[in-house]
Amino acid sequence: MEFSTQLLYAHDQILLALMIFVIMLGMGASLTIDDFKAVARSPRGVFIGFLSQFGLMPLIAFSIATVFNFHPAFAISLILIGCLPGGTTSNMFTYFARGSVALSISMTIASTLLALIMMPILLGFYTSGFTAQINAEMQASGTGTFVIPTGNIVSSLILVLIPVLLGMVIRRKWPDWAKTAEDTAGFVGIIVILYLVFTAFTRHGSLFLKTPVEVYIGALGLGLIGFFFGYWFSRAVGMYPLFQRAISLETGIQNGPVAFAVILLSFHEPVQSQMLWLAILYSTFIVITSSFITLVFRSRGQFDWDVYKNVTIHNRLFGKNYVTSYPQGFLTKRLINDPSQGTSPAQKRSVAQ
Amino acid sequence: MSKRIVAENLALFYREAARCYGDLPAFATRKRALEWHPVSYRKLYEQGLDLATGLIELGVNAREHIGLFGDNRYEWMLADYAVQFCGAADVPRGTDVTDSELVYIINHAGIRFAFVETVELQKRVLELRDQLPLLKEIILMDPNGHTENGVKKLVDVLNLGSGLRIEGDRRTEDRMTDIKPEDLFTLIYTSGTTGTPKGVMLTHSNIISQIKTLPGIHNCNDRVLSILPIWHVFERVIEMYTISFGGCTYYSSVKTLGEDLRNVEPTFMASAPRVWEKLHERIIKGVKSSHPVRQILFHIAYYLSKQFKASEYYITNRYLKLQHQSRWKHWLMLPLHILRWVMVLPWYGFFNVAVLERIRLGAGGALKTTISGGGALPAEIDQFFNNVGIPVLEGYGMTETSPVISVRPSNNLIVGTVGPPLPETQIKIVDPVSGNVMYPSDQFPYGGRGIKGEIWIKGPQVMKGYYKEPELTKQTIKKGWLKTGDLGMITHNNCLKILGRCKATIVLSNGENVEPEPIEMRLQQSQYIDHCMLVGQDKKFISALIVPVLSEFHQIGIPVNSGKELIVNHPEVQKIIREEIRRMTSNGSVRYQQIKDFRLLPDGFQVGEELTNLHKLKRHVIQEKYNHVIEELFASESI
Repeated sequence: MEFSTQLLYAHDQILLALMIFVIMLGMGASLTIDDFKAVARSPRGVFIGFLSQFGLMPLIAFSIATVFNFHPAFAISLILIGCLPGGTTSNMFTYFARGSVALSISMTIASTLLALIMMPILLGFYTSGFTAQINAEMQASGTGTFVIPTGNIVSSLILVLIPVLLGMVIRRKWPDWAKTAEDTAGFVGIIVILYLVFTAFTRHGSLFLKTPVEVYIGALGLGLIGFFFGYWFSRAVGMYPLFQRAISLETGIQNGPVAFAVILLSFHEPVQSQMLWLAILYSTFIVITSSFITLVFRSRGQFDWDVYKNVTIHNRLFGKNYVTSYPQGFLTKRLINDPSQGTSPAQKRSVAQ
Repeated sequence: MSKRIVAENLALFYREAARCYGDLPAFATRKRALEWHPVSYRKLYEQGLDLATGLIELGVNAREHIGLFGDNRYEWMLADYAVQFCGAADVPRGTDVTDSELVYIINHAGIRFAFVETVELQKRVLELRDQLPLLKEIILMDPNGHTENGVKKLVDVLNLGSGLRIEGDRRTEDRMTDIKPEDLFTLIYTSGTTGTPKGVMLTHSNIISQIKTLPGIHNCNDRVLSILPIWHVFERVIEMYTISFGGCTYYSSVKTLGEDLRNVEPTFMASAPRVWEKLHERIIKGVKSSHPVRQILFHIAYYLSKQFKASEYYITNRYLKLQHQSRWKHWLMLPLHILRWVMVLPWYGFFNVAVLERIRLGAGGALKTTISGGGALPAEIDQFFNNVGIPVLEGYGMTETSPVISVRPSNNLIVGTVGPPLPETQIKIVDPVSGNVMYPSDQFPYGGRGIKGEIWIKGPQVMKGYYKEPELTKQTIKKGWLKTGDLGMITHNNCLKILGRCKATIVLSNGENVEPEPIEMRLQQSQYIDHCMLVGQDKKFISALIVPVLSEFHQIGIPVNSGKELIVNHPEVQKIIREEIRRMTSNGSVRYQQIKDFRLLPDGFQVGEELTNLHKLKRHVIQEKYNHVIEELFASESI
């Protein structure tokens, strides 16, 4: 399928740029220097998360694109989304899914910084086949050549980090405004996604019908499969439920606005509109699927979360050497070795004794 | 994962708790904001046994009444454990007890042994000692206080018992198994009445039934914040209930509540309407002082939540149903509500997560449920908390029913009602004048639902009676049915709604009872006052509606032909009445019975209208007729 006209007009693009700015500002406003230090404090979790985000996700995206024999533009877009770092949306969902918000934030920070190196490498690696395909088509029709604009991608990633830094400055200087920025960011994100879907619908009414069904499956499946593998991969390597849920959500939920920024700044027609369209679809579906997954996690995670909370509060109030001894048979098998799930040194010691 | 322990009596219940929950913290005492001292179930039990042995050694008999005068603290609980292990009953009261109440209670209950919490209270009891011929031993709870004049320290009694137990003393074990279900566990004197306090006898089977039947799913991960006075049976039952699932009770206070909510992050809390009002006030203040954009976001979130919840309650049939609703109207409205629910859902979902969650963090953020009792929760406060997502389970009860009669469970939370009665509890709605049963009855449409009358209850929680008051007991409990003195009705979805009182007693929002009749009688002795009625149910203070004797004012120089309205609004008249109130109530009245404000009514009370044939006030008639005046009286009441 080809786009006869541009998917987004100039004013839509400005709106999108504004949204990216607001969301990244909100992301920065939610971060403090302490969060950066926290990355060093839980290296294991962050490393597993890194493997899950930059190992699993691009592979999943590549597999979907290959299995369903995607049009190269869609394939590149899907792989691009797969290589993205995490955003603040996942932190909020993790909070509600009773996951470790600290780990989620650490992973967001680590992946955002690492994306500068990982994204060009991974993109180059996984998209080489599709790029060659487009290049061949374009040379055949004599419209030029096509390569992945690695330099542009890196510079647009750096550009996106500017409002994040700005947000962090706001957080430091005007905490009240920072909170507002955080709230507004989430709200703006949803409004703009709805606006984009709506304009696409009114302007290119037939677009929804013309889009191949496998594109829908890909946009929907990428997130869901990411949640699934993130959850079981982290479990397989022995992470406790609290971290499992954080890694699962962080893996599945990518930083959509960064995708928009990279596509707008680094890619051109004829692939840009198609890539944008897939990014819009992904962003729409991920809100719905992650809400659903969050509700599942929330109810299933109630017990281990309660144990974690209670133990943490006991250590906060009764001293860090206090050990909570639950009656026999109360804790489940997985929690019994580490009721605090590795977050509280005192409680861990009790098991060793 | 939720489990509750039960036993035949409270002593065995405490033992079972120690066996099941061993080293888990049972109670935590605040030293500083982030420094609390926990005591485990096992330690509490063992110390309880030691103290009980010490008490037995001092001469405490089974079934005797032990004074327990103090406020919430670990030693209170320890003393209660010991008293139950002795097979005795405690007579609890807070440190705010007045001297005359102390004398009355100690003599009426025949108290020989009494615990006092503080050095001040110790001093007061010692000063009253010659009026207390029966009192033999005083035991001071405060471990840091100095004792005098033969007063013993709790620690010393405990050490005495501990020594005996090491030598093999097992008298407490015999006492524990000897307790019968109908034995008293406590004797609570109702507070604040102008008449003599009444001793409510509550038995082990009363409290065990409450522990068994209170709705709720909790387990030993739960943290309970305690702020109500422990000597109120409501707080006491909540603490017993907490023990039953192995939770930990954290002793907070009104002053440190905000801080403690943040640090303890309680999952469950019981409180009185006042606490909710204060919390509501604090949240609103927080919103108002926040950034304007955030204020707007809050209002949007609150609006959406209100719409969403209203539809949800309609769809799930959980709304206040005072009148029967025809089926066709229901089917007509249902699709509209479903439509609204679906349309609001995604927006509500987002705002709930992004905005309302922060509001909930102000209340600790971990509250699963909260329970409000001890007075009516104002409707707007009730709705506010339910809309922001902190479900408040409002309950209804009285000391005489140890105390819970009904409570709305979290899965059937109908705002505006106090829920269905507890299991094994029956409710009758009776016409207060004729004595006819209106509910349950086949003679009325819908089985008598939606008809107002006095609430009568029968169930395992009803008290044994008033101590040494067989006549009063007989008047209150007839054939197992306890007359509550409250007006209410059963809604069309089988919940109880409280509509006021038919007994004269006024219960202030702080839980104090005021008997209005003696005060009214005194006021009516004034030459200027024809009739008067005190009001203030669920308010912070009492006020009076006064019908002045108009002719009296002509004599002091106000023109004879003045209209009634003119007279009652005359500043001179207002001043005279204010003086009269002060004069008539100046002797012997305690603080909360002072009349804060009044309104003069131009029209007198008429027999057949506001008065019965015997010239007694028809309180609910006056209440309804002058509702606007009463509202005006309390409009200035700052929350």
